[in-house]
Amino acid sequence: MTELDLWLLPLLMALLVGVLCPVTGTLLVTQRRVLQANLISHAVLPGVAVAVALGVDPAIGGVLSGLLGSLLAERLQRGQSAGQEAVINTVLAGFLGLGVLLIPLLNLRLDLEGLLFGDLLIVDWSDLTRVLVAAAAMALLLLTRYRQLVFLGVDPEGAQASGLPVRSLQLLQALVTSMVIVSAMAAVGVILVIGLLCAPVLPGLRRVGSLRAAMVQSACVGLAVSAIGFLLAVPLNLPPGPLIGVVCMALLCLPKLKLAP
Amino acid sequence: MGGAPLVADSVSAAFDNRVVLQEVSLTLQPGTLTALVGANGAGKSTLLHLLQGQLSPTGGQVLCDGVPVQMCRDQVVLMPQRGRIDWSFPITVREFVDLGSVPSRSYGCCDRDAALQRVGLTALAGRRLDALSGGQQQRALLARAIVQPSRVLLLDEPCAAIDPPSRAQLLRLMRQLADAGQTLLVSSHDWGSALDQYDRVIVLDGRVLADGSPDQIRHRLGDQLDPGAHCHD
Repeated sequence: MTELDLWLLPLLMALLVGVLCPVTGTLLVTQRRVLQANLISHAVLPGVAVAVALGVDPAIGGVLSGLLGSLLAERLQRGQSAGQEAVINTVLAGFLGLGVLLIPLLNLRLDLEGLLFGDLLIVDWSDLTRVLVAAAAMALLLLTRYRQLVFLGVDPEGAQASGLPVRSLQLLQALVTSMVIVSAMAAVGVILVIGLLCAPVLPGLRRVGSLRAAMVQSACVGLAVSAIGFLLAVPLNLPPGPLIGVVCMALLCLPKLKLAP
Repeated sequence: MGGAPLVADSVSAAFDNRVVLQEVSLTLQPGTLTALVGANGAGKSTLLHLLQGQLSPTGGQVLCDGVPVQMCRDQVVLMPQRGRIDWSFPITVREFVDLGSVPSRSYGCCDRDAALQRVGLTALAGRRLDALSGGQQQRALLARAIVQPSRVLLLDEPCAAIDPPSRAQLLRLMRQLADAGQTLLVSSHDWGSALDQYDRVIVLDGRVLADGSPDQIRHRLGDQLDPGAHCHD
């Protein structure tokens, strides 16, 4: 591994994930689907384990498993006017538990801590490629379906009534969300990715006049959060993933501290 | 505008084995402004959703142009209740109204800017949706609805929780649309003494209790009519 790979690659990865996750998160936050994203992030684990056991790219297994978890929760939610969050969280725990169990059952050599919390310092070019593929998928989704996604966010029933293909749009979005989460796994892990999906979106959401502007703003904030987390990790000799998670929380706390007397 | 009417033929609906609508029949003629009044839980919203094709009846059928409404849903636009919209979504009034052209990629009675002008929101077009008052938000909803090319406009409680001047303005707009040939059905749980500006009033309570001109309804139900605010002061 060259000196370039040692520092530049993790930094590049942190910055790319720092942009891509908040852009994805803007869609999720404005559509109030953060819980579904959290479910997907936990549900990727069994797919990763099975893919590794089969010798397939773990990203493929993770994306499929994340989608499967999302679909299962959706199915179980039907007819449950109350307790929908309970269903999602139960499926989330079930998939996470299954993933943890599969590692010893399949006799796999998997760094569970790295999967859950990320390990930026060991990322390689294949991890970076996954992020670029997920970014391309997100860009394609936005370029071809932007106005439909806006309609879905502001008035889901109206979008349905207007004849928009709401179901396939939601599936497409769940697929791209899975790809983004799996691609960010190496950087911040499946547990911490939710912070990077949500926190950079919130500070400016009330001020912007469009979803597009919200995405640009959250991407800028996410970039700063990732850079700060990574750059603090080096001198403090701490893992960057958890540090980025802490910076995300600090981002939400700062305005409150400022307002305090 | 104009052409074949929207017809509900003995339509029934039930949820969780609870009957909400029972053999409701009505025919909406082109270019008419009809009030659909009834108490909360009378089945008004359910009927509107059936007429738009979003729900399927448990009995009977809804026909548009003589064919099942599911085959021509683009001809029937439903303006939802305010509570169905996420008003905090980051979007300007202009972009929100323009969403009306998303499904068909074409415009109805007017394009976005003309619709904004018609509802008197041109000056506020660049504002965020959540910066508008309740009445202005209702007008933005109406503008989005008229941007969609359609024959029938179903409005679900458009006058709920807005001030009297805004109600009067909304009613004027609806009257203009009907005079221009659009078919409008407007629901409300209020039924005031001033329903005269409607061509027709349908009173609903799970089934059609009365159907006729405002005068006929007043004579028939007289004492049962509370002074309310069905898009009036």
